[in-house]
Amino acid sequence: MKIKRLTLSALFTSLALVLSYMEKFFPLQLFIPLPGVKLGLANIVMMTAIYFIGWKEALAILVIRCMLASIFSGSITSLCMSLSGGLLSLLVMLAAKKVHCFSVYGVSILGAAAHNLGQIIAASLLLYSRFAFGYLPFLLITAVISGSVTGLIAAAVFRLLRAGGFRNYSDHMVRE
Amino acid sequence: MPDNSDLQLKKGDAFAAAFIIVCAVVFGFLFSNVGNAGETPIAQIYLNGRLVREASLGIDAEFTVEGEYSNTVTVKDGKIFVSESSCPGQDCVHTGPLGRSGGCIVCLPNRMEIRLTSGTETDISVR
Repeated sequence: MKIKRLTLSALFTSLALVLSYMEKFFPLQLFIPLPGVKLGLANIVMMTAIYFIGWKEALAILVIRCMLASIFSGSITSLCMSLSGGLLSLLVMLAAKKVHCFSVYGVSILGAAAHNLGQIIAASLLLYSRFAFGYLPFLLITAVISGSVTGLIAAAVFRLLRAGGFRNYSDHMVRE
Repeated sequence: MPDNSDLQLKKGDAFAAAFIIVCAVVFGFLFSNVGNAGETPIAQIYLNGRLVREASLGIDAEFTVEGEYSNTVTVKDGKIFVSESSCPGQDCVHTGPLGRSGGCIVCLPNRMEIRLTSGTETDISVR
């Protein structure tokens, strides 16, 4: 079972990496002219990891994905930004998942908003300036939208996985 | 049959979305005084074509520009205007206050000019 989890986590890591790379080619900035606005497709992977594998694996996936992404893009700043956004987002999503009044949509938009907040906090710490917070209101609103899209995709994925017999996270991923 | 109940929209989702939007509005007000959203413009006062004084519109002040005539310039509530002048035409007084939107006040007899720039130091203005 451990090997299964390990392999799945590795698979998810590369999936998240590829998604975060690919979404850079989508010109979202044409529609929403804000720096750092993105679809956040990697959140789909994080959600699937939270719901179907476990929080420790999700954490590992996040950290390793961010490290690899920053190595490939050659920028330490991107490591700080994506890590801070991702960690806050993971924390919020884990908490939201525990609260049963949120569906995957709620978890997803809260995760997206937390991701943006984490990145803004990192940006203002790195730049020693508070001006990054000026973008926060707009980013939060985009987070609701992108979180809904991500939630939609995640819901579709979950439906398929569960129809295929995969159960929610318990101690191991069990095929019924 | 798998339990797909968490794939359907719930009440909590609406609350989450509303909460985030409310936060966005609150932050919008809180941070509109910081950074790009609104810098205090700086007024530059020229006499005979030379920059003699700079005044930030954020600080209330009153001073006199002495040339051939004397203009009393007041900065109050984020606006700058000529409150008194000894010049014959009084056009400068009648021009009224300059606020954030820019513009300029000119006193031709005194050869005095007040212009607004934005607050960023990196601003490059072309004369």
